[in-house]
Amino acid sequence: MDIPVGKTLLVIDDDRDIREVAKASLELVGGFTVLTAESGPSGVAVAQQATPDAIILDLMMPEMGGQETLAQLKRDPGTACIPVIMLTAKVHAAKQHLVDRGNASGILLKPFDPMLLPRQVCEILGWSTSEKDEATGDSAAG
Amino acid sequence: MTQQRGEQEIRAVLAKVWLDSQPRILERLTKLEQISANLRAGVLDEKCREDALEAAHKLSGALGMFGLSMASSCAAEIESLLAQVPLPESVALTPLLARLRGLLENTETPHTADLENHGF
Repeated sequence: MDIPVGKTLLVIDDDRDIREVAKASLELVGGFTVLTAESGPSGVAVAQQATPDAIILDLMMPEMGGQETLAQLKRDPGTACIPVIMLTAKVHAAKQHLVDRGNASGILLKPFDPMLLPRQVCEILGWSTSEKDEATGDSAAG
Repeated sequence: MTQQRGEQEIRAVLAKVWLDSQPRILERLTKLEQISANLRAGVLDEKCREDALEAAHKLSGALGMFGLSMASSCAAEIESLLAQVPLPESVALTPLLARLRGLLENTETPHTADLENHGF
């Protein structure tokens, strides 16, 4: 797998629409390189292979949910240091005990605004937009 | 400008994904309506309830992402009701489902909220 230059994010969500829009938002608006996975197990595999700079992980997925996926990522020394942002609906965000906040870097609420998502990611991870822009140059739309 | 180009492109992507997602959105709505009928008939098992929760959850997330905040809130309300123990009477779901279908049938294109104010 070719690893692109610049900040790379991995989006793990079982909903195809969410994956497509999140990827477009983070690439076209944010200038990130984005990998996607449709399940917890495939997300763990992609993370192990590509070691992205951060992971956006849906909390509510069938079979292997976000919490279990997060636990697997943190157990593996190769992925343990990758910051993970949990993606969850407002109705579940009220129950923050569902998210292992000791291991997750933050929470993003669904539904998200595609125009705001990149900035929210940067804020949670403490990445300045200029830092990201320097990493990606002027290739944000490419 | 990169941002303006990004906004134009994200609009195009949203429009395409919206069109592609129509069958899935309607399928999820129909599933919820069927489950509501099952609930009314007293034949709703735990598996059906889990399916309904998932359908409502995905509808809420997807519709909000397309800027359809009222429809998204309606789906989230349905999800909240379905998550209650014991399950609510079907009469509580029926008007919400009718409202959701009405909102969706009157929506032709998605709209993101005031893109011009979302500087990045």
